[in-house]
Amino acid sequence: MNPVTTVAPRERTAVTAPARPRSRRPRHRLWGLLPWVAPAALTIAFVFGYSLIDVFAQSLQYKGTWAGLDNFMIVVTDPLFRTAILHNAQLLLVVPVLIVIALGLAILLFETRRGMRGYRAALFFPYILPIPVVGVVFGVLLQLNGGLNQALRAVGLGGIAPDWLGDPNWALWTMAAIIVWKEVGFGIVLFLARLMSLSTEVYEAARLDGAGFFRLHRHITVPQLRGLILFYVINEAIVMVSWVFNYVYVMTNGQGGPGTSTVVSELYIYRSAFVDRSPELAAAAAVMLFAATLVLIIGFFRMQRPGEGAFDE
Amino acid sequence: MKRLSALLALLCTAALAAGCSSDASRSRGDAATLATGAPADTSLPSGPVHLVMWWWGDQEAPGAKAWLADTVAAYHQKHPNITIETVLQTTDGLIPGFQAAAAAKQGPDLQYFWGGIYSQQPAWAGSIVPVSDYVPAAELKHYLNAAAEDSYDGKILTAPWYVNPQFPVLVRKDVLAAHGLEVPRTWDDFMTACDTLHKAGVTTIAGGVKDGWFGGWLFSMLGAQPLDSQTDVTDAVVGKKKFTDAELAEMWTRLQETREHHCWNDDINSLELYQAQQRWVSGDAAMTITAGTDAPNFVQKVGADKVAITTMPTFGDGPFAGKMATTSQTIGITSWSKYPQVGADFIQFMHSPDRLQAFYDKTGVMPADDRFDVSKVSDPTKKQLFDMALKGSPYIENYIPVELDSNAVFTNVQLVLQGSRSGKDAAADMQKQMERLRIKDRSLAKNFEAWAG
Repeated sequence: MNPVTTVAPRERTAVTAPARPRSRRPRHRLWGLLPWVAPAALTIAFVFGYSLIDVFAQSLQYKGTWAGLDNFMIVVTDPLFRTAILHNAQLLLVVPVLIVIALGLAILLFETRRGMRGYRAALFFPYILPIPVVGVVFGVLLQLNGGLNQALRAVGLGGIAPDWLGDPNWALWTMAAIIVWKEVGFGIVLFLARLMSLSTEVYEAARLDGAGFFRLHRHITVPQLRGLILFYVINEAIVMVSWVFNYVYVMTNGQGGPGTSTVVSELYIYRSAFVDRSPELAAAAAVMLFAATLVLIIGFFRMQRPGEGAFDE
Repeated sequence: MKRLSALLALLCTAALAAGCSSDASRSRGDAATLATGAPADTSLPSGPVHLVMWWWGDQEAPGAKAWLADTVAAYHQKHPNITIETVLQTTDGLIPGFQAAAAAKQGPDLQYFWGGIYSQQPAWAGSIVPVSDYVPAAELKHYLNAAAEDSYDGKILTAPWYVNPQFPVLVRKDVLAAHGLEVPRTWDDFMTACDTLHKAGVTTIAGGVKDGWFGGWLFSMLGAQPLDSQTDVTDAVVGKKKFTDAELAEMWTRLQETREHHCWNDDINSLELYQAQQRWVSGDAAMTITAGTDAPNFVQKVGADKVAITTMPTFGDGPFAGKMATTSQTIGITSWSKYPQVGADFIQFMHSPDRLQAFYDKTGVMPADDRFDVSKVSDPTKKQLFDMALKGSPYIENYIPVELDSNAVFTNVQLVLQGSRSGKDAAADMQKQMERLRIKDRSLAKNFEAWAG
């Protein structure tokens, strides 16, 4: 029998886990869970629920009186807000890059094996560094006359030594690169853990069939990591939409500069509330940001096939 | 899930700001009605009292921390039932920190404010009570700059603490002399110095605008020169003038000229001001600008014989050209403080003769009180600075909204100095942002008119 024909059914088995039957728990068992869930649910409802309702209410008011959608109109027509949203959208473009790098490095580590633990620790290390530390270090390193540019000039590459964080044309992309550097470790560890748990038989069989490196991972690894990749995509998309405040705040002293080149939606909300003294506009912008992020989260859950969740595999 | 929690936390923050601030704003009309204290009750409670004071200032007045600790201890000795806890704030956290406290209506009893708009806007928001509700007028009349910067509707909002001459230009005479130059007093001399020193590979004037604040300084030092009075600025805020009008826009073209003549260090956008100032100390730059309160320390590092203290070279012929601006850093009493009369009493204690002298002795900075005897100051650097401050002009950064300062001034200075925006476009952007701000803050113009009027 041709070995390929024996491998194929196994491969399918490995790639697509059997769909989990949609079990219906008896109603009385659900009620039994309630006492265990209630304290946490109540805490979340009180802490976040109250805030959510209040921020929605405030977004529709101005100085305590009903303002309808005025605050939303002001925010939407504010060039600074639109700039901030554009920057978040530009940062979203970085997500595919992040996926490719994380997946590529995870596969390389998986294939290399020798010294993998050391490499893995080294690559994961940036992820555990506090963002203020990262911000301060890179803030110094990436000055016009900082360490990186001095090194570039020393090897005759002074022509590609811009003011990484001081030039408005470079600042956002420099920040994106720093975010990639910090976030990629999480993806590598995530993908590697999954790779290590896969059956080696599939790979051995494919190699016997003559599959090369790229074909092997394109047709075996990627499909098996599909759920995890999706999880990482959504997670990093949320990072780019609503989790980059710390980077921007630390590296630009809370200004989003130079000019408005690194202003993102979170910074807009923060500055509206605590610098510009416009809490209602901050509330309106926060509601919009919340809605955008909610779309991403719902999209994530809807795109997940049964049994393909990041933690179901 | 961590990220979702963070998003929710962000919403909570917005809710905190929005929800809690609504109480204060609900009681506001179009123009601000100041929060008022109880009818002046100056008697101090006999039970235990604990006050919290948030402050900033050791950065620009080294030694202030030690002085404040001594003053708090001395006050406690005088009133054993009263303790005061002091919390030092960062520059970037000073305003947002207080905004968060004001939204929650808890935090400090006494808060440090810069002068002018920085003390006006918290009062308009109802976050502080006028100190004149608790401190007698006979006492307040001694506090320097109180009437000029910190008054509204006949009341004094915050109490000046110390004077900041804003901002001296420090010149290394030895660096200039090495290139055949003298201290530039006029704009043309300044541009000539820039050209000469640039050719020699020396930075003419060291600065850093990464954190934005230095942009506000330049706005005042350049922007004041063509003006007749600070009303020109407040008129532009309320819409009677425009920031594109010749006298208000000129500073931007002058700033552009400084870039074209390579006056600044090439990495000005990469650095904070305090980092750049070290180049002046090391002799790599001929000039720099510093807080007036901190200037004597810089002079001491280099040696007084090598340094000249001057103002920004002049191009304007207005009454403010060639003058140092003056402002007082202040202390306010929060509207939620349970013991405003104790806070007011402590402020007066800070102004007692013994404390005024001790402040000068510890910091070398001029207390904002005309009872401090300036004639006894023997240090020539300090004497010159104090004289310049006493004859100083208004500090115009203190007469524009804080939002305009950070969103238009800071950003445009960065872009003009980086070369990606012209002076003309910067002025146009400032005007556009001001118009936008009047839409966003619908009571801003009326508050400004009430203040300036």
